[in-house]
Amino acid sequence: MQQEVVLAMLAKEPTHGYELRARLKQALGPVGEELNAGQIYVTLTRLEKAGLVTARPTAGVQERPDRKVYELTAAGQQRVAEWLAEVSWPRPDLTEFHLKLIAAAAARLGDPLAIVDAQRRELLRRLRDAQRAAMAESATSDAALLLEGIVLRLQADLRWLEACERTWTTRRSQS
Amino acid sequence: MGRLTLISRLAARDLRHRPVQAVLLLLAITAATVTLTLGLALNGVTSGPYLSTKAVTNGPDVTASVWPSAGEQPERPPSRDGLTALETASGAVAHSGPYPVASATLRARGHTVPVQAEGRDEALAAVDQPLVTEGTWVRPGGVVLERTFAQALGLTVGGRVSLNGQSFHVTGLAVTAAVPEYPGVCFFLSCNAYNGQAQASDMGMVWLTQAAARSLGTSATPLGYVLNLELSHPADAAVFVNTHSLAGPSSQSSAMTTWQQIQNADNDLVSVAQQVLTPGGWLAVALAIASVAVLAGGRMTEQTRRVGLLKAAGGTPALVAAVLLAEHVLLALVAAGAGLGIGWLTAPLLSSAGAGLLGAPGAPALTAGTAGLVVAVALGVTLAATLVPAVRAARTSTVSALADSARPPRRRALLIAVSALLPVPLLIGLRLIARRPRRALLGAASTAVTVTGIVAVLAAHHAYDLVAGRFDWFAGLSDPVSGRVSQVMAVLTVVLLTLAAVNTVIAGWATALEARQPSALARALGGTPRQVSVGLAAAQVLPALPGALAGIPLGIALFAVANSGGVVSVPPASWLAAVVAGTLAAVAALTALPATLGARRPAALILRSEVA
Amino acid sequence: MTALLSACGLCKEYGKGDALVRAVDDIDLDVAVGETVAIMGPSGCGKSTLLHLLGGLDRPTRGEIELAGSRVDQLGERALARLRRDAVGFVFQAFHLMDELTAAENVELPALLAGRSPRAARRRALELLDRTGLADRARFLPSALSGGQRQRVAIARALANDPAIVLADEPTGNLDSAATLDVLRLFDDLHRAGQTLVIVTHDSRIAATADRLISMRDGEFTDETRLTGGTAGSLGKLAGLEG
Repeated sequence: MQQEVVLAMLAKEPTHGYELRARLKQALGPVGEELNAGQIYVTLTRLEKAGLVTARPTAGVQERPDRKVYELTAAGQQRVAEWLAEVSWPRPDLTEFHLKLIAAAAARLGDPLAIVDAQRRELLRRLRDAQRAAMAESATSDAALLLEGIVLRLQADLRWLEACERTWTTRRSQS
Repeated sequence: MGRLTLISRLAARDLRHRPVQAVLLLLAITAATVTLTLGLALNGVTSGPYLSTKAVTNGPDVTASVWPSAGEQPERPPSRDGLTALETASGAVAHSGPYPVASATLRARGHTVPVQAEGRDEALAAVDQPLVTEGTWVRPGGVVLERTFAQALGLTVGGRVSLNGQSFHVTGLAVTAAVPEYPGVCFFLSCNAYNGQAQASDMGMVWLTQAAARSLGTSATPLGYVLNLELSHPADAAVFVNTHSLAGPSSQSSAMTTWQQIQNADNDLVSVAQQVLTPGGWLAVALAIASVAVLAGGRMTEQTRRVGLLKAAGGTPALVAAVLLAEHVLLALVAAGAGLGIGWLTAPLLSSAGAGLLGAPGAPALTAGTAGLVVAVALGVTLAATLVPAVRAARTSTVSALADSARPPRRRALLIAVSALLPVPLLIGLRLIARRPRRALLGAASTAVTVTGIVAVLAAHHAYDLVAGRFDWFAGLSDPVSGRVSQVMAVLTVVLLTLAAVNTVIAGWATALEARQPSALARALGGTPRQVSVGLAAAQVLPALPGALAGIPLGIALFAVANSGGVVSVPPASWLAAVVAGTLAAVAALTALPATLGARRPAALILRSEVA
Repeated sequence: MTALLSACGLCKEYGKGDALVRAVDDIDLDVAVGETVAIMGPSGCGKSTLLHLLGGLDRPTRGEIELAGSRVDQLGERALARLRRDAVGFVFQAFHLMDELTAAENVELPALLAGRSPRAARRRALELLDRTGLADRARFLPSALSGGQRQRVAIARALANDPAIVLADEPTGNLDSAATLDVLRLFDDLHRAGQTLVIVTHDSRIAATADRLISMRDGEFTDETRLTGGTAGSLGKLAGLEG
């Protein structure tokens, strides 16, 4: 769970651990179903160690992470402000697959077209699942927007795979 | 100068690009201009021939006749004293006659016809010497026939005829200005007729020697006499007739006729033609406007994209309108020229003022005025039909013109709702009409105009039939007048029908083009090709029905007006029903072809969104 | 299970000699009742032509097509029209709605063409519009509807005569992402109701929801997939939530 995201979720007011989880679940919808509670708390601990967050246990209760109240420090707030202003974008990682195909062809380890096909099938399955989840959401929920983004990304990746297929088919017929 | 080149180049290229449309347009306008030219050119056309005949034959300014009164057993033959007195009346400078005129029966080639047989000297007369055009003048045993009469009988020089049982042979054919040509010889009721026979029957005119004519007179049918006078002031012939009289005993009748009256009678032949052709010409013009409107209007919408390109390249709206109009104006001018040429060449056929007068009125005055009027009408027809669409096209905003968005059809909720209740072909037809109601109105108007013309012609025929029946004309011979009238009306009918056919084809083809998308869609959704083509035909025939029905009263009214308040003739109901049925059938047949062709193409080609 | 639609050796050629173009080249296709088949391919691969052939809108150069028991390639124009009326519902990419008719009037058109009474046709049209979520737009003209709504009207029209098979040609080609979702939902409903669908598309979203996915290139089928099995990872991983 990215650190800045957790910081930002605490920006509004000091929050209990379980509240934090609930908010994340609501924002992510079906995408957040498998969200591990542990991951969140690990992140919170790291943030505490870095001095961006303070944790206060609620009075009179056992020291359980979800019962603690987390709050941003001044450094934490500054970090959030910087993060909001950033325009970096998650890096698309196509290089790995691209090199996979080249290696397979060069070392004759496998048929690039078969690899592309298999990957395509997998992406189509993911697209199907994401599409189904999108259809199940109401049009105005936050999750619907996220799912649309996932779907469009998958579409773009599938289009690139089609291009890979065209290119590698041509290469094969030339060799 | 560059703009002019541009305009003419664009116009020429577009015409070459769609030659069929250009030809159809040309045909429509030319038919109208031909009819109009004919009507105008026939104006007062026989005045020439009559005058030249009168000059050559030294025709009389006044003719005076006496003859025994019909229905009375004459006590004695008519006296010539009244005629002799006129020879010396003031104003008369020369005379010929009095000549004997016998009433006789002529038999030849199986026909039996009453004739006026005038006795003449072999020597030339001072006034009214008929001009022999074939053969020779009278001699013993011979008879000279008036030329029109001879043609009606089918007689030529050398033939044999019998007059009151006596045999003669035809020595010559002649023309005269002293009596109207056959069958108008007795037009002014100045003939010596059988006892008891009505004077107005068709009598022919023949000349014999004086002795032969006298021998034809009997106590039962005595001779009459005719005197030809030349006046010092021919223009005052009417005054002369009023101031002198031929009164005699009641056993004889008399009459005096002026040369102007004879001229008018001769004119009748042609004026009838003109009476029919001029309103007919305007009808043709109306039809032509309709055709051009549909054709040109359709072309305008096709040209939207071209308009957009011109405007995007910097053309002003005026330039664009000029380009759109230029090709039509060009066609109009060509059509006007063709119409004038064809009209001028064919006018003689219609205006040949009968065989009984000299001189071919073959150059019916093609005055500058006539030519100018015809050109103006051709241009007017074109502009009337194309100006509005051209201006509208030129005013379209450049962007929408480039996007080639045709005017979407307006919704007609009532027609749509009604059509749902009808069988499928009528559903399709009615909805097609609802998409372009103005086109339907135009179709109805064209049908109305055509039927008006045909009904007017039928009314004229019917009127002549009535009159003929009353007076027992023809005696089995071909009547030149009604023959000429039939000829003219036939020409008019042919022109109107051609125009109407062209009109219908154009409209049907334009409708089929415009209906391509909806009819392809109808077929894609399950309409059979037959349902679709019947629907397309129905879209034409349904508006034609009210048009045809409206044409009936209009046609009757038109004939009544053209006949200058004469008989209001209502053709029999069976004829009218036949016209309506025939018109609708023709419309259906003419639109069936483009409709069927359109329904055969695979729907996919029309509905294809991308070539995949 | 006998196939509802069965094509064998289907060919469509244009032009002659050097200019010969094989838009559809020796295609075999079987579609069972209730199946959704998606045919994917780039522009110009012949998929629209194939669909027009299957629906009887165009005639094949060679090959057989059997649909609902009739040999489509052997029928005359009138019989084809009846087939299109009763057995096939066609959805076009360009919608092809009549601009001057309301949504309800557009939808009832095939029923009227089939000779049903106006009242029955109107009732069915309103039913279908309700099913496609456009009940309140029944009286609107197409110009007053959005792209997605127009396409849904077109789909309702295709269902008017309760066809055995619905053929859709690039149904989301002219639509934006939200409208596409609406149409996808509709196709999903139809699929669950047992309607047989053949959809031609280059949109992978539709393809992903089909039972069978066929790839087409240059007039030939190149691949066929059935998307069975779950995904390799959860949605969370897809979305970038690191573990």
